Amino acid sequence: MAAPDLRAELDSLLLQLLGDLEELEGKRAVLNARVEEGWLSLAKARYAMGAKSVGPLQYASHMEPQVCLHTSEAQEGLQKFKVVRAGVHTPEEVGPGEAALRRRKGPAKTPEPQSSEAPQDPLNWFGILVPHSLRQAQASFRDGLQLAADIASLQNRIDWGRNQLRELQEKLKQLEPGAA
Amino acid sequence: MLEGAELYFRVDHGYLEGCKASLLTQQDYINLVQCETLEDLKIHLQTTDYGNSLANQTNPLTMRKRLCGEFEYFQNHSLEPLSTFLTYMTCSYMIDYDSADEWCLQTKSVKEIPGTCHPLGPVNIAETSSDLFNAILVETPLAPFFQDCMSENSYLETFYKFCKNHGDVTAEVMCPVLEFEANRHTFINTINSFGTELSKEDWETLYPSFSKLYPEGLWLLAQAEDFDQIKSVADHYGVYKALFEAVGGSGGKTLEDEFYEHEVQMNVLAFNRQFHYSVFYAYVKLKEQEKRNIVWIAECISQRHRMKINSYIPIL
Repeated sequence: MAAPDLRAELDSLLLQLLGDLEELEGKRAVLNARVEEGWLSLAKARYAMGAKSVGPLQYASHMEPQVCLHTSEAQEGLQKFKVVRAGVHTPEEVGPGEAALRRRKGPAKTPEPQSSEAPQDPLNWFGILVPHSLRQAQASFRDGLQLAADIASLQNRIDWGRNQLRELQEKLKQLEPGAA
Repeated sequence: MLEGAELYFRVDHGYLEGCKASLLTQQDYINLVQCETLEDLKIHLQTTDYGNSLANQTNPLTMRKRLCGEFEYFQNHSLEPLSTFLTYMTCSYMIDYDSADEWCLQTKSVKEIPGTCHPLGPVNIAETSSDLFNAILVETPLAPFFQDCMSENSYLETFYKFCKNHGDVTAEVMCPVLEFEANRHTFINTINSFGTELSKEDWETLYPSFSKLYPEGLWLLAQAEDFDQIKSVADHYGVYKALFEAVGGSGGKTLEDEFYEHEVQMNVLAFNRQFHYSVFYAYVKLKEQEKRNIVWIAECISQRHRMKINSYIPIL
């Protein structure tokens, strides 16, 4: 490949990388804000319901995850993560590589494509009449989940981009040993 | 009132005055709010009446155990009818632990709970909201008084009737307090029920029948679909109108905050009268609020949310 093409590709890759980094910073800030909001809402719920009513003692003995993580490989070495609500059978996009359905929490078992019924809303562990702050906490953490998957995909893309950048720079060095 | 009873009251009241002095003051709260870490908070609490009991743990259950110890002291020294009164107070915590929640009423009936409403029995409780761990901390067994009444609502009605029959200053102070408690539950539960599957008919059976809201206010509440409709129902009643109007405001107070604040005011006023049982009720409720305050301050410190740290409700 000619050096100018390589340089052009290098430039575009660098721009892409910088764009991804900026997006990553933004998403991280939003994730932090959501998680903080979630914890504060939980504290408010504890204030309203009593400290004993909102805590690990309320966890169900058998937990079913509400969301699953779907990984796909779009290009060689580049993995994408997508959050899928439990109960959805087929993932929407299937890359050229394997698509694996992974459970994020709950008992580890081989991925099963079908789930018989929608898992119980964890809000019900705390009673049927939960205060508004607990619902707010759930909403904040749900948003956080989606953001976490996006951040993981972005970080993967950034790592992949850096590797590509390094390879291209090596190639460029070989083509033009004297050039910077 | 018999002279003996007055003497007895003086003994008990005098003791309770000492307990009342153990409540945290405004200065104590100012010191707590300025703490930077939980360790600082524990150190400050050691200078108060909590002493070294919280030194090794920051578990709110430790504070509860302390209150339980004091309460047991009252019960062990009490005679009738005070001991019945104190037992009524413990029942609300029993009910809190397992089936007062309307969710429990839906998923399991009272008959599933063996014996005389003893909350420690069935395993299915441990699988869901109220654990055996919580139940173990309950200090007194549920008395046979409440064989048929396992809901928060019927408990309040029975307690109200007991106080009213007792008459005297106790009734004067306790009855409005219990009415307020019942109405508070009604409003909060109605609001929390939005978006759940509970039907209006279920609601009508759960509303109390002894408060000012009965029957027109309750009927209106059962029809309400959103917060504004509930607010318009509350506008018909002086006390609740003021509370609903104060929601939001500059401090971002929620309705629960307003209710708790009003409850604290009523309980503090109980100490202005003499020779009645309501001081015990008021003391326990104020200690509960103090516990809520301390836990809130601790959470704000550990989550580094200092803006909201002053949302506690000062008592004295």
